Amino acid sequence: MQPPSMSLLRAFSPLCASLPIPPPVHCLNKSFSTNPSLLARKGKNKGPKPDQRIALLRYALQHPLTPRPLRFSRNRSLRHWTIHRAFQLHQANVRLAQTLSLEKQYRSMASACEALRLMDSDGLTEQEREQLGVKSAGAGPEKGEGGKLYRVAMEKKGIWEGVPIEYARAQVDTPPRAGWNHAWTR
Amino acid sequence: MNAGQRSARRLASRSAPSSESICTSCLLRLSIQPRRYASAAVAEVERPTLDPSSQHIPPVTASAPRKAYRILASPVISRPPVLTRQLTDFEKAFYLYQKRLNERLALPFSRYFYFKKANPADLEWKRKARGRKSAARDIGVYSGYGDEAWNDEVLVGDVTAEPDNMREALLRDAAGQTIIEAEKVTDAEPGSDAVAEDAAALEVARQDLESRIDRPMPRATEADEKNDVKSLNRKLDRSLYLLLRNKEGRWRFPEDRLHARENLHQAAERIIVQAGGLNMNTWVVGNHPIGHFQFEFPKLQIQDIPYQKPDVEGENKIVTYRREEYGEKVFFMKSRIMAGQADLAKNTFDDQDFQWLAKEEIAEKVTPKYWQSIKNMLVER
Repeated sequence: MQPPSMSLLRAFSPLCASLPIPPPVHCLNKSFSTNPSLLARKGKNKGPKPDQRIALLRYALQHPLTPRPLRFSRNRSLRHWTIHRAFQLHQANVRLAQTLSLEKQYRSMASACEALRLMDSDGLTEQEREQLGVKSAGAGPEKGEGGKLYRVAMEKKGIWEGVPIEYARAQVDTPPRAGWNHAWTR
Repeated sequence: MNAGQRSARRLASRSAPSSESICTSCLLRLSIQPRRYASAAVAEVERPTLDPSSQHIPPVTASAPRKAYRILASPVISRPPVLTRQLTDFEKAFYLYQKRLNERLALPFSRYFYFKKANPADLEWKRKARGRKSAARDIGVYSGYGDEAWNDEVLVGDVTAEPDNMREALLRDAAGQTIIEAEKVTDAEPGSDAVAEDAAALEVARQDLESRIDRPMPRATEADEKNDVKSLNRKLDRSLYLLLRNKEGRWRFPEDRLHARENLHQAAERIIVQAGGLNMNTWVVGNHPIGHFQFEFPKLQIQDIPYQKPDVEGENKIVTYRREEYGEKVFFMKSRIMAGQADLAKNTFDDQDFQWLAKEEIAEKVTPKYWQSIKNMLVER
């Protein structure tokens, strides 16, 4: 069995207090850093000159004119506000027109699909069958063949296959030099 | 699901050996026979009617023709806009206003970051910037610095905001036109050979520069000027739709009745080829219709629909089914053209003419009732 360590006792013992205890490291440096502080080099060996491009970038970013003031007179600021509001209004109108156009297309699509759904294989709806006096019990859309067109039309399988790459063409400001390719052949 | 719930037609189609290859009308014909089974027992009783000898489809002429509507598929082939839309005057003015405000707010252009001092490129840039007063080339002569910086609004009637004008300014800058005009004024005495030589050399240099610059094409094409309705180069900022004049002389989208077991998408693809020829690069966008049109015939039309029997050879191969058609239902399928042109040389529907028209032009061509059905599915641009 080992004897108990005396180190703790030695630390607090007044007998050992005369020994100089080294002060903590951070108290040595004024800058509260553990890094060694370098003295400025003098003379020729001043170190590498900073890259001129970096200096220019810093100069450009820390331009004395940043942020630049934009001062408007009273009338001018009122005019600016009016212009701004007018453009907001214009954009809202454009957006509304787009939405309406999309909605029209959607309604047209939905009503076409509904007409397709209500139609049997002879192209007759329930009402038209009554009007024409057709008594074909099996031709209803919910039974068998009648709804086939509708069923196939609603299929979403593979709709993303075969999307042509030309479809990704963005609109531009001026037409292509050759114009439309009328001479395209399969 | 018990047998009683099933419709007679399904039973008939299940028992027939080639039910998959029988067309709609044949299947219906089979289904007319009263085969509503209340129970399996009744089915047992009635089974003899389904023996192979009675599988033969009776000729339709024996019974009354079926009443029906003609179902048509109609591909709406559109050419999407190639160009962006024309800006309104307000938009043009607003964008220029914003650009000039930006010039007032932006930091100065740090020239020495981009050009080495006293380089030819630097001198060139300096010379150009002196002329336009700022780094921006498309806002007219305006500087966001100095005493005149407040004067950033253009006056009424100013053409700086016009896109054509901006494009022209950019080209002028790229061509370095100011260089040539500035150096024309040389120190040499007028009339001397040096001046003439210099002028000639400068002229050659200017033409060389001009030829190297890629000038964009004008937005209005030749087809626009001639209003060539057959050309796809017309109205490049709008959607154009292919309209055909059919044998009755009516303008319609290409259309045809559905064949035996076709769905709308397949029919649309077939009709595009049959109506406009092979040399159109088209794409039928979806499986479902984007619009429909219903029309009641003034008097009913008797239509004989031929049907090819798959299993039979010889003279009985093709049978005709007679239908009374009271009207038509047209389903429009959205499709796009990417290249090529319509050609009616091999048209199988006896169409006489074709035109590529924008929405408002279609309204003038088609009948009012047809227009009512199609106007919502067509886009403005």
